[in-house]
Amino acid sequence: MLARLGGGLAVLIPIVVLSTFITYSLGALSNSDPAATILGQDAATPAAVAHLNHVLGLDRPLLVQYGDWLSRAVRGNLGASYFTQIPVAQSIGQRLPVDLSIAILAVLLGALLGGVAGTLAALRRGRWFDRGVTIACSAVSTLPAFVVGIILVVVFAVGAHLLPANGYVPLAAGTTGPWLAHIILPALALSLQLAADVARQLRTSLVGVLEQNYVTGARVRGLPFRRILFRHALRNAAGPALVIVGNDFPVMLAGAVAAEAVFSLPGLGQLLLQAAQNRDIPVVQGLLLIVSGFVVVVNLVVNVTLSVLYRTEGVSA
Amino acid sequence: MRAARLSPGGTPRTPRGRADSAAFPGTPRTPARISALRLPSARIAIVILTLIAVATAFGAVLAPQSPLAIDPGALFQGPSPRHLLGTDYLGRDELSRLLAGTRLSVATALEAVGIGLVLGAPLGIGCVFVGRWFDFAANRVADALMTLPYLFFAVAVTAALGNGLVQAMLPVGLLLAPGYFRITRAATLEFGRAQYVEAATLLGASKPYLIRVHVLRKVLPTITVTTATLTGAALLSVSFLTFLGIGVQPPTPTWGGVLSSDLNYLNLAPWAPFIPGALIAVTVGALNALADAFRDRAGAGTLALPELTSPEASAAASTVPGTGGPVTSEEVADAA
Repeated sequence: MLARLGGGLAVLIPIVVLSTFITYSLGALSNSDPAATILGQDAATPAAVAHLNHVLGLDRPLLVQYGDWLSRAVRGNLGASYFTQIPVAQSIGQRLPVDLSIAILAVLLGALLGGVAGTLAALRRGRWFDRGVTIACSAVSTLPAFVVGIILVVVFAVGAHLLPANGYVPLAAGTTGPWLAHIILPALALSLQLAADVARQLRTSLVGVLEQNYVTGARVRGLPFRRILFRHALRNAAGPALVIVGNDFPVMLAGAVAAEAVFSLPGLGQLLLQAAQNRDIPVVQGLLLIVSGFVVVVNLVVNVTLSVLYRTEGVSA
Repeated sequence: MRAARLSPGGTPRTPRGRADSAAFPGTPRTPARISALRLPSARIAIVILTLIAVATAFGAVLAPQSPLAIDPGALFQGPSPRHLLGTDYLGRDELSRLLAGTRLSVATALEAVGIGLVLGAPLGIGCVFVGRWFDFAANRVADALMTLPYLFFAVAVTAALGNGLVQAMLPVGLLLAPGYFRITRAATLEFGRAQYVEAATLLGASKPYLIRVHVLRKVLPTITVTTATLTGAALLSVSFLTFLGIGVQPPTPTWGGVLSSDLNYLNLAPWAPFIPGALIAVTVGALNALADAFRDRAGAGTLALPELTSPEASAAASTVPGTGGPVTSEEVADAA
């Protein structure tokens, strides 16, 4: 496991260096002059701008600036907003729970919905339920998550008044109700795409596995069907679907940012939009670094876990 | 199953058979693109896409009313003969706004796809023919780009380059490039190692000749399918960016912009967002249906677009025992 993790990390190093460099270069690409922006029109004398550029370190070569920024970022210091002076790490820390809640719930919902639909479709192959699942999967894959979100808002919030249409309540000890009520619709909107992918994949592989000799063999030995399904067939068929679930988690995080817009949630996406409008480069760089770093780390962890899990399970089965 | 259907000539047409006949110029064959168009789903998709193309070209002219004309006497109206799709919060005609907004939405989606194609596909072919170091470097760059979530990156880039739709789609194109790169490289690897390519090399064929005659022709169907799929993805990105208000100034109509303004007045007109929403979904659906139809018909020679995920994904996919049956003795030995 450690060797696998080490190997994965070695491959990741050039990737991380490149993607963080692209992220950092965004600041240099912008021809906006942060010092002049911060100082405002009246105070922006050439001397004051030069002084502030020196204080901010913007008069050094790009590579030096990048190295400095990355080494501080690794220690948790992402700099401060040009405008509010609030540390970027603090703003991100406040908003990350919103997107994480939605992403995690969406992955759980997607895996559950997709798993059940895919299994039932494989068991009732060619019947109406199977066709229904296939049609639903195709329909869902053409509907963007934000349109699904709007449909859910109209149906559940505006139409039936069952759930709040927007806003976020932090998870407090003892009461999960309000928190869940605010994130269930965005999570559901995001989960449908994953559910469709999982259902399709699971159906295909389960149909294949159920035709294998060892399943027939288990039937001949008189094992109850439920036991054959869970202990033999699903265990072998779930691999590719699990890979989809694992790999979709980082995608979900980016998707959660999209869902914020529809449900007006105070998450990373809104922070990004504000920062982009104000050309608040440190905030934009910090956000991009955190989100892409998250994608890299979760991908690595998920893939190492899946491969290790699958090996050991495979041996014991 | 579909691929085994009889061709007009009456001979069983399998993907393998077609690939072989293509290797011998002069052998008659039915191009996949033609037989794909015989599928009902493809026909419907083509009709939809043709309508969208007409709206892209002549949308502003076809619009029954001015997309910017405000009518305070007719706010939030439902569909009526005068306003076929109703009016928005300023009494502007919804149909006219969607028609006039088509060009900007579609053109910027095509811009992103064009950038992705030009950057990704030649590099994908080049990887196989230039050398191992180039292959390694290009793959690492593609991996790095894939860690950047593209909508997020697109918004971030507008912070640096200014708030414009062209600027916003530049990064989307850049991040579509790895998709093209991966799929073209995979297809080129597959066809570049075929025996007839080896034979041609031994006969002294130059690399440009090999690429032009043997590789490009085979890779083209794959690129076409990828283009259809990625155009759908790009269109979704444009719609979402304009929905967020990135890249366009408020009175200018776009699909996402109409959707966003409708969303603000759900209590007054709950049905309104469904019109632009359905327009986006139907267009993307048509592009996907066309890609699927073409993939079905082009058969084994066409690869599916892999999930846009990190390099680790493919590694894990290969280490997890596949769909096929129980653990083999090799795997047991390997794990022990």
